[in-house]
Amino acid sequence: MLEGINKIGDLEWEVPIGYVPNMRVPGRFFLSRALAETLEEGAVRQLANVATLPGIVKHSLAMPDIHWGYGFPIGGVAAFDMTEGVISPGGVGFDINCGVRLITTPLTEADLAGKKRELIERLFAVVPTGVGSKSALRVSNKELTGVMVDGARWAVERGFGTEADLARCEGEGAIPGADPEAVSAKARQRGVPQLGTLGAGNHFLEVQVAREIVDPEAAKVFEVAEGQVCFMVHCGSRGFGHQIATDHLRTLESALARYGIHLPDRQLACAPIDSPEGRAYYGGMVCAANYAWANRQVIMHEAKKVFAQLFGIDYDEMRLIYDVAHNVAKFERHDIDGASTEVCVHRKGATRAFGPGAPGIPREYAAVGQPVIIPGSMGTSSYLLHGTTTAMQKTWGSTCHGSGRVLSRSKAKKEVRGKELRERLAGEGILVRAHSDSALAEEAPKVYKPSREVVRVVHEAGLSDIVARLEPLGVIKG
Amino acid sequence: MSFEELEHTADVLMRVRGATINEIFADAGRAMFHVMYGPCEDRSIERQISLEADDLESLLIDYLSELLFITDVENIVFCTFDVDVRGTRLVAALRGEPFDPARHSAGTLIKGISYFGLEIVKDEETYVVEIIFDI
Repeated sequence: MLEGINKIGDLEWEVPIGYVPNMRVPGRFFLSRALAETLEEGAVRQLANVATLPGIVKHSLAMPDIHWGYGFPIGGVAAFDMTEGVISPGGVGFDINCGVRLITTPLTEADLAGKKRELIERLFAVVPTGVGSKSALRVSNKELTGVMVDGARWAVERGFGTEADLARCEGEGAIPGADPEAVSAKARQRGVPQLGTLGAGNHFLEVQVAREIVDPEAAKVFEVAEGQVCFMVHCGSRGFGHQIATDHLRTLESALARYGIHLPDRQLACAPIDSPEGRAYYGGMVCAANYAWANRQVIMHEAKKVFAQLFGIDYDEMRLIYDVAHNVAKFERHDIDGASTEVCVHRKGATRAFGPGAPGIPREYAAVGQPVIIPGSMGTSSYLLHGTTTAMQKTWGSTCHGSGRVLSRSKAKKEVRGKELRERLAGEGILVRAHSDSALAEEAPKVYKPSREVVRVVHEAGLSDIVARLEPLGVIKG
Repeated sequence: MSFEELEHTADVLMRVRGATINEIFADAGRAMFHVMYGPCEDRSIERQISLEADDLESLLIDYLSELLFITDVENIVFCTFDVDVRGTRLVAALRGEPFDPARHSAGTLIKGISYFGLEIVKDEETYVVEIIFDI
């Protein structure tokens, strides 16, 4: 482990005050010895930088997929006092409400025999992917305002999905407090043609099979069974969210001096939560978060139609288990020294993992806690978990979001040939469809920490419990 | 005039060198479009932008963010960048071609330009800046 960091539990580490100047609270992160070998000093420094922000409560936290980003580390979580604290786009990222949803189908792997290639091709045809992709869906500027305010509900009311889907999204697929006035004309221009598109990079739509049920009781509650074919959608708010983040980052950066805030990293630009700039960022960020929920709702609907047509199953036989955000700031109530207190929780590359009985989770899941969906890297297992009481106590009800990169893009391109990777995965029965092979190399399995180790750590640290392991059968990528 | 990609696990880190500030800005643009689209040809599509910022680093971020905006909404891939920086203002003339999925799909989508570690410094006779592109 790096120097200056203290071990305080089997999988828990503390970054003491003083690791960087002006820390207000200590940092804490969760990591196994195996994962510690890949921990970057820059990521720990970023974790410590977050601890210098005004109004941070208790600790600057990071999940076991911690890695070096900008502003907050990826995997970073921090809560801020509603009066003394700040809100920062550096704690959310450019891809506001990048997130994941998991849907079950009534099919088994055997049902896919002979049709898998066609399934993947049809999904690739209906879900726009990649750089420069535009949606077949055309929304007006007025409709875009509806998307910003109502999120997934807007999509359902337009016929993309059903009312039942809404209850199975984090926050029912929308955060209240959207402020369309805080969204620039530029963001609108980017948002209009991109609703219903997957994007590029690590975003994907993957067909999976529930290979292993680890917690049968929770699996029963989530209605997922061994051998069941599922699909997972991973994407965010597209250029709309990127532009909102860019616009507000600039405003907040210019306003720092006015609030007397001194930062170790300009990317941590922030403003008091209840300041004009802070309120405007929050209102704009909410618009982007709601757009992302509508986006995943539209994509899921189009994919469900493909399954229904190809396999002759009913649309309603496919069930959304849950939709989680992993880049967002939200006002939540948490127990602080015995009192229920509202704080602004930032999760950047971290997933909400509310435990049993926590407010805001679907009634049918209340006994086990909310579903947590952790996508694996291409060709590796993804996981379904549930939130825990320990997470509520230790991490503001948060857990990891993925596997975390260990190999740079440039090294990946040198070490991996996209075409060979595609052929190797096909040999393992995993069909990959993308616009270019070279983009595949950047997302090769060896580029990421093993998802099973990251998930093992959150499970053993009690931040979320594994319910099922899902294996990939085919994937479409940007 | 040059740019090179450095090791960065999560994002794309580019080091750009230039004899002048104008070259730094031009090559930062080239580096960004190289990451997003790979090779590009000048097919006479032109755009011009004018910007002003509080300082040179913010101007560089605003300029790259503006290029991201234009490529996203107009589907133009730029390959030549003629940038004139005066103080904290710039005028840039950009030339390129329409986005073509068959030729421009080898790259990676850039979501934003990070302020993290962004500082234009003078290293002997050349200017240097390292830029993190969020992918």
